[in-house]
Amino acid sequence: MHGLYNFVRGPLAWVAFILFFGGILYRLISMLLGARKKDGVVFDYFSLYYGLRSIFHWIIPFANRNSRQRPIFTIVTFAFHICLLAVPILLLAHIILWDESFNISWWNLPDSIADIMAIIVVACCGYFLWRRLTQPEVKFVTFASDYVILAIVAAPFITGFLAYHQWFGYKFMLILHMLSGEVMLAAIPFTRLGHMFYSPFTRAYMGSEFGSVRHAKDW
Amino acid sequence: MKKGTAALYIGMGVLISILTFMLMPAYSQEDIVSLADSALGDRERPAAVFAHEEHNEKAEIEECNVCHHVYKDGNKIEDESSEGQGCSDCHNIKEGYPTRPLMKAYHDLCKACHLENKKGPITCGECHPQN
Ligand code: HEC
Ligand code: HEC
Ligand code: HEC
Ligand code: HEC
Repeated sequence: MHGLYNFVRGPLAWVAFILFFGGILYRLISMLLGARKKDGVVFDYFSLYYGLRSIFHWIIPFANRNSRQRPIFTIVTFAFHICLLAVPILLLAHIILWDESFNISWWNLPDSIADIMAIIVVACCGYFLWRRLTQPEVKFVTFASDYVILAIVAAPFITGFLAYHQWFGYKFMLILHMLSGEVMLAAIPFTRLGHMFYSPFTRAYMGSEFGSVRHAKDW
Repeated sequence: MKKGTAALYIGMGVLISILTFMLMPAYSQEDIVSLADSALGDRERPAAVFAHEEHNEKAEIEECNVCHHVYKDGNKIEDESSEGQGCSDCHNIKEGYPTRPLMKAYHDLCKACHLENKKGPITCGECHPQN
């Protein structure tokens, strides 16, 4: 147990974080270089004001037409993304481990709230799965990889929830939880999960073009 | 209710209270089977398992001051111990005190030795088992 735990907690965690941060840096740099080469005008038209204005309208629920047209989807995606980010970063058990390793700590969610938020993430994943399986307009653009990505995202939350409650073999579940979290971290830069990092750039560019060139709203 | 019965109940209540009070100071490390330090405030986790005597026998820890230590100028004093005091008497939960915060003091002490010995619990749920 000590050997396996220490391996997953130590070297494997380092590999996952290096792939995560290194991968994001690599993707962002190659995106910017690629844009400069193929599409130099992107930089000429870029406007911080219009870019931020657009991001602002897309990041607030119901501040854009698209989200008003699909209220349920909007609520689910906002709840999903908030819980998806807040739980791992603000979970007490994670902060205790950061503190142990690097002497840094910050405010934590009470465990009972984090517990409910984990259930929300899993329930939202269930909703996304249902949409992909049944809604024709989504089914049409769904590939096998979309299901794999959904599973990668749901796994750390399901195993974390079970490990916290110590159901079905605690130590085994904890190791699975750590492994699935590491898989997710490493997968983010190299799959569509990376939209969390590049979407602000594409959104800002759209905003710039619509704002300063076409003098139109893009929300 | 008859007067006599009422008096009997009251008498019994007083006797039990006195007995409890007399037995209280007899509470010692031998009776410790788990730790739930009230100085930590509202709890997030179940009490930590720690059967004081049994643990130290099984782990073959001879010196009390492995845990009940005394520090002076940042150095541990080898031949002194502090078993009269609780960890919370020195390890403050507030920032800015020159000792590590209380929860961290517990975790560091317990886990460091278990990791070093490759024996004993190191995951949350082993020390804080639900029910
Ligand atoms: C593995 C660490 C460890 C060792 C070794 C150890 N103790 Fe303790 N002991 C503790 C902890 C932890 C507590 C709980 C402290 C608290 O509640 O603040 C405790 C509590 C006590 C208490 C009760 C204090 C109270 O307020 O109720 C006494 C007495 C005590 N220990 C005596 C001893 C003696 C004597 C020895 C050596 C034979 C010893 N301990 C060795 C960890 C240890
Ligand atoms: C008489 C005061 C006092 C008591 C009682 C006390 N400590 Fe400490 N402890 C200190 C001081 C001072 C330090 C040095 C500053 C620091 O590292 O936090 C220290 C250091 C530590 C360290 C770091 C040791 C290392 O090797 O780096 C741990 C862990 C710790 N204490 C845990 C505990 C635990 C658990 C208890 C209760 C069983 C306890 N202490 C009781 C004063 C005390
Ligand atoms: C100086 C070393 C040391 C310290 C400090 C220490 N332990 Fe241990 N502990 C051990 C060792 C060694 C074992 C394994 C004993 C065995 O199974 O042979 C162990 C085993 C345990 C076990 C499993 C007991 C069992 O019956 O299998 C628990 C629970 C535990 N420790 C809790 C604690 C807690 C809580 C603390 C902090 C208050 C603590 N330990 C501090 C050395 C230590
Ligand atoms: C080696 C045993 C051990 C391990 C492993 C351990 N703890 Fe603890 N923990 C303790 C002890 C001892 C205390 C202090 C006594 C108490 O429970 O109040 C404590 C206190 C706490 C507290 C403060 C009291 C409370 O419930 O609010 C929290 C929170 C906590 N631990 C969470 C965790 C988490 C999360 C993990 C895993 C990352 C963990 N612990 C791993 C032994 C352990």
